[in-house]
Amino acid sequence: MSRNKILFGIGVLAFIAVIVTVRLGGFLVDNEYRQPERQVAVEEAAGEAEATPRQQGIADEQAADEAEARARPYVEAEYRTVPFVGSRVTVWVLAQLHLLFAAFVLAVPIFAFIIEFIGYVTGEKRYDRLAYEFTKLLSVSFSMTATFGAFLTFALIILYPKFTNYLMHIFSPTFLPYVLLFFLEALFLYSYYYGWGKFGPKMHLFLGFMLNVVGTAIMFIANAWLTFMMSPGKREDVDGDGVPDFVSAVSESGALLSLRDAFFNFTWMPINIHRIIANVAFGGSIAAAYAAFRYLQAKNDEDKAHFDWMGYVGNFVAIIAFLPLPFAGYYLAAEIYAYSQTLGIQMMGSTFSWLFVIQAALIGNLFLGANYYLWLGMGRIEGTVHFQKFIKWLLIAIAICFAVWATPRYAISSVSEIAAMGGSSHPQLSYLGQMSAKNTAVNILILSTYMSFLLYRRTGRTSIHPHRQLLTRAQAIVFSTAAMLVIFFGVYGYQVDAATRIRFAIPQVYSVLAAMVVITVIDLPLYRNARQAAQTHWGKMPAISQYALIFIALSFTWLMGLMGYVRSGLRGEWHVYGVVLDTSPDAYTPTLGFATQVVSVTVLIFFGLIGVVFWLSSLGGKKAYEPQAAADADGQLEGA
Amino acid sequence: MKLNVPMPVKMVLLVLGTTAFYMYLGQIVPQKEVHPPPPVLIDPGMTTEDLIEVGRELVNGRGICMDCHNDVRAPAFDGVGARASSRIEGLSDIEYLAQSLYDPDAFLVPGFAQGMQKMNEPPISFSDEEMKAVVAWLQSQGGTATVTLETDLGY
Repeated sequence: MSRNKILFGIGVLAFIAVIVTVRLGGFLVDNEYRQPERQVAVEEAAGEAEATPRQQGIADEQAADEAEARARPYVEAEYRTVPFVGSRVTVWVLAQLHLLFAAFVLAVPIFAFIIEFIGYVTGEKRYDRLAYEFTKLLSVSFSMTATFGAFLTFALIILYPKFTNYLMHIFSPTFLPYVLLFFLEALFLYSYYYGWGKFGPKMHLFLGFMLNVVGTAIMFIANAWLTFMMSPGKREDVDGDGVPDFVSAVSESGALLSLRDAFFNFTWMPINIHRIIANVAFGGSIAAAYAAFRYLQAKNDEDKAHFDWMGYVGNFVAIIAFLPLPFAGYYLAAEIYAYSQTLGIQMMGSTFSWLFVIQAALIGNLFLGANYYLWLGMGRIEGTVHFQKFIKWLLIAIAICFAVWATPRYAISSVSEIAAMGGSSHPQLSYLGQMSAKNTAVNILILSTYMSFLLYRRTGRTSIHPHRQLLTRAQAIVFSTAAMLVIFFGVYGYQVDAATRIRFAIPQVYSVLAAMVVITVIDLPLYRNARQAAQTHWGKMPAISQYALIFIALSFTWLMGLMGYVRSGLRGEWHVYGVVLDTSPDAYTPTLGFATQVVSVTVLIFFGLIGVVFWLSSLGGKKAYEPQAAADADGQLEGA
Repeated sequence: MKLNVPMPVKMVLLVLGTTAFYMYLGQIVPQKEVHPPPPVLIDPGMTTEDLIEVGRELVNGRGICMDCHNDVRAPAFDGVGARASSRIEGLSDIEYLAQSLYDPDAFLVPGFAQGMQKMNEPPISFSDEEMKAVVAWLQSQGGTATVTLETDLGY
């Protein structure tokens, strides 16, 4: 069905809806009792007008309402409710939507600035155009971020007045700097966007740099508010016994003792680091989804080539940021444990443990989607046969790691299944549910994805380095050593106690990080000035590759929603952990099923809105409107 | 026959399908709604037997002790009442158990790491009376509870 037919159908339905509404309104108004106008006029003239029973009834009701309002004493509300949806879900959805748009608005300038800088250094105009294309997505998204931010603030004030007032008591000195920075953010963002090509390159790069500095500062302030709710203090060895003690930023009654400790609280920096990396990964994926959307719309080869390249760069940014994200997540989780083991246990070993099985499925899908896109991408380069033979082995490694990571320690089983297994865990498979197996799986996943990138980078290129064989072998040795170390610590983890096993995650992480750094450092000179043995045909990707990009963006968004829930839900029945108790009817942790429903609805709303952002951003490339008569006249003139 | 589905329809189906799949995953995992533990009332006239019962509630509820004390992260409670008096020389079972609750890092059972929170501090915030109830329950695990509300735990 063509778009015109759909629009026509919507138009007809809208017309019918308007007619029905008008007719219904007319019917209701017509059937309301009224005194005959002439009689009312006569009675009013004679001063004998009497109220009808209906008017009298309305007047009595108003009087009763007023009397009741006057008799009612003013009571400060602690909580207010939202019918059907509830206060918590309202704030939850608004906060998540605000956060998703904010993450996007903070992330895009980071890589737009980097791409513009590359364009400036190399002198290649295509980088400048690409950076501008990314920046086009910002202005509408910025408005969305501000709108949802205001919406969230009002919702908090209305629905959680006492708690919001408490946060104001703690953080009011940070509000003015926040607003000023927000103003500066708008200034730098719009001057960066509208000033494209209007300023000199250095000045424009300075604007982009300042946009990033201010945006990061805004996020750091907002992060202080939310991390304070989880860790309202710091840990410091006060009594000199070598064991960090909890130093609260507030008194037992909640009064502020130290704004500095409240702001720079224990989980503030881990969240900052995690969010910067996650934002870039998320922003890259959404920008790649935009490119996919434009690619699928493109009518000519030039546009297809441009948006294919844009999608590739967006996905590249997303995956490069995604690779260290599990490490940042591990650091954050370790810091949460260090702050409060109770919180840590709640997160990984109790209420939320099954959430991490869903997270494993999401991350597994992300890795599969990203690798699939890269493998398809090899098709746009001639001479890929040499590398394609590795793909099946990478696919096998990724599939095995995915399966291990998604294997829970305790299976959901029926009574007969439990009897057959001899317990709630499978006698063999439950070993894969333990930390050793999971850490090994995620590290091998990361190494495999990095290898996909490396193969893609080499496709169609031949190194001319004099020591290419030696360097390639060195890379292979580094890669194999890292993989073996990861597997060794994974297997050895089963032979040691729990505390040692948890610490094994650190050498595993360092092995992978070191391998990626060393291999990259070798690869840069190895393929510098490499001979381009084959042509890259941008714009020659199958449509399914573009749907893969959209799938990756969806999975990222859903993952952010899920992890946002666990970070906030960890506090249980506390507004501020250990300080301000939540006494509202929502002071309980909902089921995972319910939480995933809320996350899904939020993701659908976000994608509806981001679709509008994409559409508005794509309008810039369309032809300007011309009245039909003028166009016809122009045509006649040209014909003459 | 090849079905020619328009691109916007495919996108909508992809978004709905993927979201529905992830939501479905959320429905098939175990579902548990966690409510705040109900307040525990300690009457001044409670006997040691009453305290054991209250202690059991606190250990399984607000204290969330069982999440760790399973011999994996922290020692299990089986027989703790019998061995408490011999853990640290010079400390009685009540003194040792009280120290474990008020100052858990003062002594670590070999093979286990530090990290347990002080149970009189937030977010658990047991009162002194509640601590006595927990000590009574711990004593009853393989031993004989002797704590009463008049007992001085020394903290």
